[in-house]
Amino acid sequence: MKFEDASQNLRARLGTIQLIVFVLLAVLGVRLYVLQIVKGKAYAERAENQRVRLLPIPAPRGAIFDRNGKLLVGSQSIYNIIVSQEDKKKDYSPLIPPLSASLSIDAEDLRARFAEVKSQPAFQDILIKENVSQQDIVWVESHSLEFPELRVELQPQRRYPANGHLAHVIGYVGEVSPEQLLQPRYKDKGYKPGDIIGKEGLEAVYDEFLRGRDGYRKVIVDSRGHIQQEIARVEPQSGQDLVSTIDDDYQTAAEQRLQMTPTKRGVIVMMNPNNGEILALASAPTYDPNLFSQRMATKEGRAEYNAMLQDPKTPLINRAIQGRYPPGSTWKIPMAVAGLKQGAITVDHSNILCGGGIMVGNKFTRCMGNHGMPELRTAITRSCDGYFYRLGLKMKIEGIMKMVDEFEFNKRSGIDLPHEIVSWTPSPAFKAKMQPKDPEWRDIDTVYASFGQVYDIITPISLIRAISSVAVGGQMYVPHFLKEFRPVAALSEEGLADYRPGRPARTFDRGQPKLIEMPEDQHAVVIDGMWGVVNGGGTAGAIKMPEVEIAGKTGTAQVVGLGKDVGANKDHSWFVSFAPARKPEVAMVALVENVGFGGQFAAPASRAMYDVWYAKMHNLPLPMPGATEAGKKAPVQIADPEGNRVTIPLAAPTPDASAPHATQDNHASKRPKR
Amino acid sequence: MVAMFEKRSLRDFDWLLAILAVAIVCFGTWQIRNAQPNETFWQKQLVGLGIALIAMLVVAFTDYRKLVNFAPAFFIFGLALLVIVLIPGIGMKINGQRCWIALPGIGQFQPSEFVKIPTVLMLARYFGRQRSGALRLKEMVMGGLILAAPVGLILLEPDAGQALTYFPLLAVVLFLSSIRMWLVMAALLTSLVAIPAAYVVGVKTGVIKAYQQERIQAIIDPDKVDPKGFGYQTTQSILSVGKGGIAGSRGNDEFSQSALKFLPEPHSDFIFAVTAENTGFVGCIALLMAYALLLSRLIGGARRARDRTGMLVIMAVVGGLTFSIFINVGMAVGMLPVIGVPLPMMSAGLSSVLATFMTIGFAISVQLRRFVN
Repeated sequence: MKFEDASQNLRARLGTIQLIVFVLLAVLGVRLYVLQIVKGKAYAERAENQRVRLLPIPAPRGAIFDRNGKLLVGSQSIYNIIVSQEDKKKDYSPLIPPLSASLSIDAEDLRARFAEVKSQPAFQDILIKENVSQQDIVWVESHSLEFPELRVELQPQRRYPANGHLAHVIGYVGEVSPEQLLQPRYKDKGYKPGDIIGKEGLEAVYDEFLRGRDGYRKVIVDSRGHIQQEIARVEPQSGQDLVSTIDDDYQTAAEQRLQMTPTKRGVIVMMNPNNGEILALASAPTYDPNLFSQRMATKEGRAEYNAMLQDPKTPLINRAIQGRYPPGSTWKIPMAVAGLKQGAITVDHSNILCGGGIMVGNKFTRCMGNHGMPELRTAITRSCDGYFYRLGLKMKIEGIMKMVDEFEFNKRSGIDLPHEIVSWTPSPAFKAKMQPKDPEWRDIDTVYASFGQVYDIITPISLIRAISSVAVGGQMYVPHFLKEFRPVAALSEEGLADYRPGRPARTFDRGQPKLIEMPEDQHAVVIDGMWGVVNGGGTAGAIKMPEVEIAGKTGTAQVVGLGKDVGANKDHSWFVSFAPARKPEVAMVALVENVGFGGQFAAPASRAMYDVWYAKMHNLPLPMPGATEAGKKAPVQIADPEGNRVTIPLAAPTPDASAPHATQDNHASKRPKR
Repeated sequence: MVAMFEKRSLRDFDWLLAILAVAIVCFGTWQIRNAQPNETFWQKQLVGLGIALIAMLVVAFTDYRKLVNFAPAFFIFGLALLVIVLIPGIGMKINGQRCWIALPGIGQFQPSEFVKIPTVLMLARYFGRQRSGALRLKEMVMGGLILAAPVGLILLEPDAGQALTYFPLLAVVLFLSSIRMWLVMAALLTSLVAIPAAYVVGVKTGVIKAYQQERIQAIIDPDKVDPKGFGYQTTQSILSVGKGGIAGSRGNDEFSQSALKFLPEPHSDFIFAVTAENTGFVGCIALLMAYALLLSRLIGGARRARDRTGMLVIMAVVGGLTFSIFINVGMAVGMLPVIGVPLPMMSAGLSSVLATFMTIGFAISVQLRRFVN
């Protein structure tokens, strides 16, 4: 250095700068060591993760067929318009005006949709329009330069039959809800947001089998989410097709019959009593399941749904398994079977006084006629209440409870539908709960419990199950819809990454039926009585069929008070039956809400079903509206109203028979009616 | 210029320095090509290298003392360019910053890169006189004023990153002009307190904008920052660096961070991240060692300079280069917030390469004349 100046420590200062330079570079070197050597693998993985994405290829859901192989529900491919989300921070509002104008999407809906995804993880695609038209697809493709984030995606979608046909049986699918994802049974099976799952009906119960296994494409994407290259592909495996026990002809007939009733509300269930297969299950009113599978994302769809929730006609309720009704005189059948079994009466000595009614304490509960001292056969055929009041008193409440246990009225039937409810059955405990002010069980309560009112409030499915078991002499099967699942072949080879094992065929596991011991002679008496109802001048004599002998029993379920015609709150009409009477092949329950006396509507509706059944068995033209001319018979009118002559005033009218009659006042006078 | 042909000149010419610089630019050009294989940046960079090499030789074989004498003229010319660039219509606005002047047929250049040279010369000229005793207040104020002129104009563009790179020039010059050590210590201590305080005040008053805050937050607490927000660049840069591992992908990754556009500005501000992804720890350390060697070589030259002016020119260059390297690499490895400072000799950009080579040319010129009277 030519300008040495000791006082300035120049050498030291230059040295200091050199040191600083080295220290700074060394710091960078240490940092690089940490990033690249120590954490290098982790960062490489993260970099890999952000560039590799799995794009699901949705698997088609298994179709649902009727027992004859007729397609009930299938999947069809629809196209959806998707916005690929590049950046959570990105403002999508400039997209709203052009998209809402060109694709006719509600601007508010779009705004809400875009706002919603802000809370979702990044790179979540935004579905902006479902089931788009060809024009929409063309528009998106022709504007790909202008709106590179738009994409058209193929998706299989469920299409349910029109007019709510089979809605209560098949149910519907929908997007898995955030609440469901928290439940272990969904979480553990690997369901993820956006998955379509069965939400109701068979779709829900058999979701596991119906759903396919999604395939996926493994792709490399750039920072904007644009696909650069496909690096792997696993094909989807479709779900298993379900062959149901439903016969679509019976189903259609049942739905039509309910539509022909004055209130258009009710239930028809047709079942094979020999194995529990349900041939038809109609609950009216019904709903359109396509609302849930297709329209729930729209404002109109949600409004429609809310309207249904508010609808006093409760179209979403499957009345067969979720409605509770007093069984009325249909209750006399299990009572008769139990009375014989328990020895309260015998086959040879089954006569009990009718007496035109019964006086218990200071209350007279009347019978609609005076049947003298009928034997069981006649008591069933004529639906003698007086007989059963006294039979009930002989059996005592313990006997009735034993009957309930035996016929499993206090259990779920086990039907393969979700949300089945349990019937309410008579017991001192039930009364104590229902009427806390008067909890003590009295003889009058036993009288009520013995003819299918007040304490007997049951589901149609539990009734058809019991009646079916009576029909076949004791075997009580689990009612069900599943006939079989068709097998699905394996995909790829075992050991390979995209291997999907095959799925074997499967039938409903019926198990052994519950056996209700029914001695031959006792069984015969009850069947004779039921035979007489239709064929022996009984309460449903008007539906007597020349070709087939129907055995049945009418019933009237009180709504406000039996026979009290108060317009909308008229009694419910029941008819339980099976045919042929001596060798039953089908059993049926028909319930029509609020149409008045038993049998007036339910029995003819059942008869119409038997007509269809007979025609089908003999390859005749089906007597159904819209099917053949023969079907257009006028409804049979029953001139002779049958029912129970008891009037139990209620503190407040309960429009829905399934609601508990909790405000019953037993001290009110029982005035004879009619 | 005559000296160029003298044997002694050829012997004294710092070949190692020049070769190191050229080698770093060539290495950088490879990385630019890795970053943007489908763009022409890397070809332009090679052309820039050619131009810069010529400029370096011209400067190297020119007597730096003459250039220092003309410093005020250069300085005023430089300031004029910084004013011109602010005029809409002449200065090109890119990303909200007006820091480019378009030259028809040649391209565009960035005056703020070049004005460093006259600024260094001005500082060297002012502080280069033979001196005794500690620095006086008047001198410090004068140095501050020399710096304030270009920095103020650059801040008007506004280009805070470039403005920042001017400060080490003055700092080095003051340090070597026997500023009192207690002042240095005081300045260090003050900044320890003042920088966080200024940050807090800046945040409160809104002078530091939200995106700047977020960039700083990304360094202080990388986990808390929205990886898709303004911390995105830092996150992606760290990922790219880390992904490189020991040996890197050596340009074989068709779907690299930059190719998939995860890494922003891969050819310029984040060229180091690209280097790290492609060459791994080995390449990065090699590059840092090349820088260390180059800087040591420059410091060595400063030690042997025949006058204060020459020493100050070289050391100011060292200060500027070190600062830029540290800021840029620090940003790429997620130690420092994202600031638009190019990595010397690596980042694509004619202005940066040319200016850097010219400063190195000065350093060579100083060394060439260490024995010349």
